[in-house]
Amino acid sequence: MLRETVLPLNVSSLNNDPLWYKDAVIYQVHVRTFQDSNGDGIGDFQGLEQKLDYIQELGVNAIWLMPFFPSPLRDDGYDISDYHSVHPSYGTLDDFRKLLSSAHDRGIRIIIELVSNHTSDQHPWFQESRSSRDNPRRNWYVWSDTDTPYKGARIIFLDTETSNWAWDPVSKAFYWHRFFSHQPDLNYDNPAVREEMWNVMKFWLEMGVDAFRLDAIPYLVEREGTNCENLPETHVVLKELRRKMDENFPGRMLLAEANQWPADLRPYFGDGDEFHMAFHFPLMPRMFMALKLEDRKPITEILQQTPVIPPSCQWSLFLRNHDELTLEMVTDLERDYMYDTYAESKMMRLNLGIRRRLAPLLANDRRRIELMNGMLMSLPGTPIIYYGDEIGMGDNINLGDRNGVRTPMQWDGGANAGFSTAPQERLYAPLIQDPVYGYPAVNVLAQEASEHSLLNWMKRIIAVRGSTAVFGRGSIEFLRPVNHRILAYVRRLGNEAVLVVNNLSSSAQAVELDLRAHKGTIPIEMFGKNMFPRVGDLPYLLTLGAYQFYWFRLRRI
Amino acid sequence: MAEESFLTDDFLRQLINVGEVDILVGLPTHNNAKTVGSIVQTIQSGLVGAFPRERAVILNVDAGSRDNTPELVTSISIDDMRPASNLHALRTLHSISTQCEASPAKGAFRTVLAAAELLRARACVLLSPDSTNIQAEWIATLLRPIYHDGIDLVTPTYCRHKFDGLLITNLLYPMVRALYGLKIREAYATEFSFSGRLGSQFLSQNSWDDGAGAELRFILAAITAKFRICQSYLGEKIHVERRASDLVPALRETVGSLFTALDPDLPFWSAVTGSQPVTTIGSEHEVCLGPLRINRKRLREMFATGVNELESVFESILSPATLAELQRIAGMEEEDFAYPAELWVKTVYEFAASYRKSVINRDHIIQAMAPLFRGRACTFLTENRNSSADEVESNVESLCVDFERLKPYLQQLWNV
Repeated sequence: MLRETVLPLNVSSLNNDPLWYKDAVIYQVHVRTFQDSNGDGIGDFQGLEQKLDYIQELGVNAIWLMPFFPSPLRDDGYDISDYHSVHPSYGTLDDFRKLLSSAHDRGIRIIIELVSNHTSDQHPWFQESRSSRDNPRRNWYVWSDTDTPYKGARIIFLDTETSNWAWDPVSKAFYWHRFFSHQPDLNYDNPAVREEMWNVMKFWLEMGVDAFRLDAIPYLVEREGTNCENLPETHVVLKELRRKMDENFPGRMLLAEANQWPADLRPYFGDGDEFHMAFHFPLMPRMFMALKLEDRKPITEILQQTPVIPPSCQWSLFLRNHDELTLEMVTDLERDYMYDTYAESKMMRLNLGIRRRLAPLLANDRRRIELMNGMLMSLPGTPIIYYGDEIGMGDNINLGDRNGVRTPMQWDGGANAGFSTAPQERLYAPLIQDPVYGYPAVNVLAQEASEHSLLNWMKRIIAVRGSTAVFGRGSIEFLRPVNHRILAYVRRLGNEAVLVVNNLSSSAQAVELDLRAHKGTIPIEMFGKNMFPRVGDLPYLLTLGAYQFYWFRLRRI
Repeated sequence: MAEESFLTDDFLRQLINVGEVDILVGLPTHNNAKTVGSIVQTIQSGLVGAFPRERAVILNVDAGSRDNTPELVTSISIDDMRPASNLHALRTLHSISTQCEASPAKGAFRTVLAAAELLRARACVLLSPDSTNIQAEWIATLLRPIYHDGIDLVTPTYCRHKFDGLLITNLLYPMVRALYGLKIREAYATEFSFSGRLGSQFLSQNSWDDGAGAELRFILAAITAKFRICQSYLGEKIHVERRASDLVPALRETVGSLFTALDPDLPFWSAVTGSQPVTTIGSEHEVCLGPLRINRKRLREMFATGVNELESVFESILSPATLAELQRIAGMEEEDFAYPAELWVKTVYEFAASYRKSVINRDHIIQAMAPLFRGRACTFLTENRNSSADEVESNVESLCVDFERLKPYLQQLWNV
């Protein structure tokens, strides 16, 4: 296929930098949750397209769409039954194409999900595979006559699953699944599966999508005597997909979802020939932990353990997402602490995590919300904002699974929060209605009208971040003031240096910073653009209010 | 003119950097480089193991070490132990150091109390660098009652050799018990813990002209102010070899401090009759019976020499009857020598009363007590030479009862 024919039709507003993802701020949204254009109570592509101006004004330059494929929706779309289409509730393929085009017109890239590890048990591939032991697709999944192989693999959804094997009464055999039992794992030892997954990618890349978030990638391949995670054979599969994408669709990006320790994640970057980006899962809970402990140790400790990655690669950082605040990558001691301090009610806990949104986790404390976003935007990596967190939306822990953080976007204080014209009882999920976080109190319209709203503050910080490439591409050097409540670092790119000072404490703090390496520079506070005293030989004294943070451009004039 | 702070600017800067804490561990040192490293590591293990979520600081108050003791304290990190111990600190564990006067006993405790107040510590523990057998569990044993149970003072009990701590068994324990009414085994402790509120109260209400013996005065102050007290069993007490010349400084710090406290505490102790047990976590007290060489003959000779040479001093301090009896036993042959319990109690009470009246220089009174204590120690050693642990304990109990029984004698002396 000629390259000209596979390029998207309208890419004029997108910059041509192949490292665009390094400078991006990504907005994560589920089509279903954002805007309903046809009054059926479910968000759709046309609704999302109508809200692109909002996303553009927020300042983000990429949207990550959660799965929108045909699916029985037993796992919110992560159980795909057709990779080449869209779920009818969200519209049509043409609707998606229009969304894609409109986003590109605004300089916004689109990242979609590639749920590659498993399918729905309703997928025709699985239906064929289970139909008989000699079906041509039998070997597309992992089958066994017993449930004894791969005992070294942990069970991930501890609250619902008791085994990674499920009995199929049709073909009278066990099939392998790392997640829900209705999500059978594909067999990546089968070349036909690998080829078909490339065909799926090609289908969407040809349409113009800019990137894939590959779901659950550590689990692609199984081997006896291992924990069936991060196996070398998995990397072979991934490198093959990356190579084909680079050859045919340069400038596109792969984002790895692998909830692993940094050292285990490092191989997913390969030599810059596997994933462009990967989520830094262990950092996220430690940011919350550091805030509660009022101590930088959890953050500096995990970042010290974070290996250097190839120059073309990037970490992806987030505070909250559509899943629970995962506590898999913490010690038992740390997990207990997180539960006790952030999820005192058992209802807030799910699997090994906490199913809450950002604002409720931080007790709706504007100072803490700003500080956490300040760190998100200034630590090395590409930040992701989960839809609704930019206005401080709440959650509903009475909804099952992770649905409590997937409620409709709150656009205004009117009917159905402006999300849909459907009768309220037909909405795909109830709106947040409590007095603190309910849509009459927390909504886009009200916050747009208020200069000092969280929404407008988020727009400012995203703009300030975007004013320099240092946050997306620069190095980091931690300062180590004796005051452990202060997290301070210098981001540097070429001749440009930015000093970031965060007060993790609930009380005012004084800190002396050793800035001798920057002697002679004039710190310019990046939000107000005010000058601070020139850096000299003596320790640089700063005082910070509770949860306050500073970004200083260190100017050498 | 405003009083000059005894805290240096550098120390204040360190405290500012540490900020508010939940737990403060005080560690006075003086040339302890050989052992302080392992002690600090043990403290860190204890803190991380028992109080992983709490904000904690180890405060070293050094009396001018020349062997880098402070640098050792501040350089040791819990993370250095991690591979071996599998311990992981949830938060930053601070170790800071400051200087005090030449003697760690003077000023160290005041510095610890001041730091505890400035850092708003809820629970504090003071540990001795001599306790090289310190266990990580001590931290929990000493601090949990304070931190979790609302206790204000935890004093230790130990497994001691039957002849270790003779000053405690023959004077401090029985006299504190008789006068203050609580069976606190180690009223002069080198390891104990206390609440922030008790520390703050003591810091603000006491004159610090002479820091010596402040720990004993602290414990007595806790008793008289009716703070909640308990004891915790720490296990074996390391026996520290002492020279004969160490006795007078020890008497100054302990007996001197106790005698000094009696006057202001008169309303309290004069109203106390009998004694009450103190809640003890773990064993009350254990006696071990291993061999321990002490030169009894030398003790008796020092007693006899002292009685003869200090006769004029004793005439000022003691009643004629007591002095006569002491002179009588001083002339006894070695095999017949005995310093009876009742005579010892009367001796101590008469010294206390004379100390109150300052019949001669108070320090001379304390010094004069040294040979008499040696005589009593000799008798205790002789009487318990072949005793079992129970028998030793029974004899100590008997002495305590004598101190209580003869308390009216002290009151009588006090009112004369």
